[in-house]
Amino acid sequence: MVMNAVFFLMLILSLIALTIASPQTAFSVMLNGATDAVELALSLFAVYSVWLSVLEIMDKAGISKAINRLFSPLWKRIFKGESEKATEYISLNFSANLLGMGSAATPMGIKAMEQMSKNREKASDNMILFLVFNATSIQLIPATVIGMRAQAGAADAADIILPSLLATLLSTVSGVILAKACAKMSGILKKGLPLACR
Amino acid sequence: MPLSAYILPLFILAVIVAGFFKKVPIYGSFVAGVKGSLQLLLSIMPYFTTILIAIELFTASGLGEKLTQVLKPLFTAMGIPAELSQLVILRPLSGNGSIAALQTIIDEYGADSYIARCGSVIVGASETTFYVATIYFSTVKEYKLRYAIPVCLLASLIGAAGGCALCKIM
Repeated sequence: MVMNAVFFLMLILSLIALTIASPQTAFSVMLNGATDAVELALSLFAVYSVWLSVLEIMDKAGISKAINRLFSPLWKRIFKGESEKATEYISLNFSANLLGMGSAATPMGIKAMEQMSKNREKASDNMILFLVFNATSIQLIPATVIGMRAQAGAADAADIILPSLLATLLSTVSGVILAKACAKMSGILKKGLPLACR
Repeated sequence: MPLSAYILPLFILAVIVAGFFKKVPIYGSFVAGVKGSLQLLLSIMPYFTTILIAIELFTASGLGEKLTQVLKPLFTAMGIPAELSQLVILRPLSGNGSIAALQTIIDEYGADSYIARCGSVIVGASETTFYVATIYFSTVKEYKLRYAIPVCLLASLIGAAGGCALCKIM
């Protein structure tokens, strides 16, 4: 619903503005967006193919389980009530993010979401929390940005690592706190309603 | 060769060797992985294509610029330099777009300037929120995002403000 409204507003307002300013470009702008998507799809297909294959072997060889053992005490606290399989993918997603392998983190994150959506009733808040983790990016080294700074002749291109790390920690921690607060609020709101309304 | 260049190939090598000793069918696993990738792509592509069309329209129509003007006072109040307002708006919408914006900022103010360093921290310490949200929830049927997007955006904004403050002392 929200997504529908946001999308409609974005589309209608942009199209009106474009039609007034430069009507001849409106259609090609939309095509540009779709063309970007095709390019993105190709590169995602390539990256996911390799990583999901590696993941397949990791699952079958029991490596996923071994990695999960490192983190599962933490996840049991943060993502309460999730299955072993779900925390396994969460662990893999988290390690890939930490190592800066964002492309590997995504397919594993999607799998974690699928697992979490299986036990429907309690999943939702956990799923959002997991999204917050990924959307606030837990990354040790922002390689792309360092590369750009180096190219532009920065004295010490990597000197943004520490502030970046602290900033991403700050955003992740505040995201988790905000998400937990919202979950609690919606829980209270739900409990306040009579059973028939749920 | 930097040491970090060895991490990725060594990791994949280790996984394949471990799989071999555990009698995992390697060829079959790769075929299954690619098959999974194709299915995954089919389920997420409609979502990100839609989003990318909307974002392209949003930036090309000048609406993004308008939103920047509206939110600029809020950003400066949080200690984010006004020159970075557009970058802060673009960051959650478009990965490529924000990289391009950061490049412009670096070229204009110099890589070691306070503005460019703040911009680098903002880009390096955050994610393309809308893209992540659509992709992560795309294979889940009947998804309701509820409070997800506002929380992510607010958290990123707090991170950006914190990053700008940190750049003053680091």
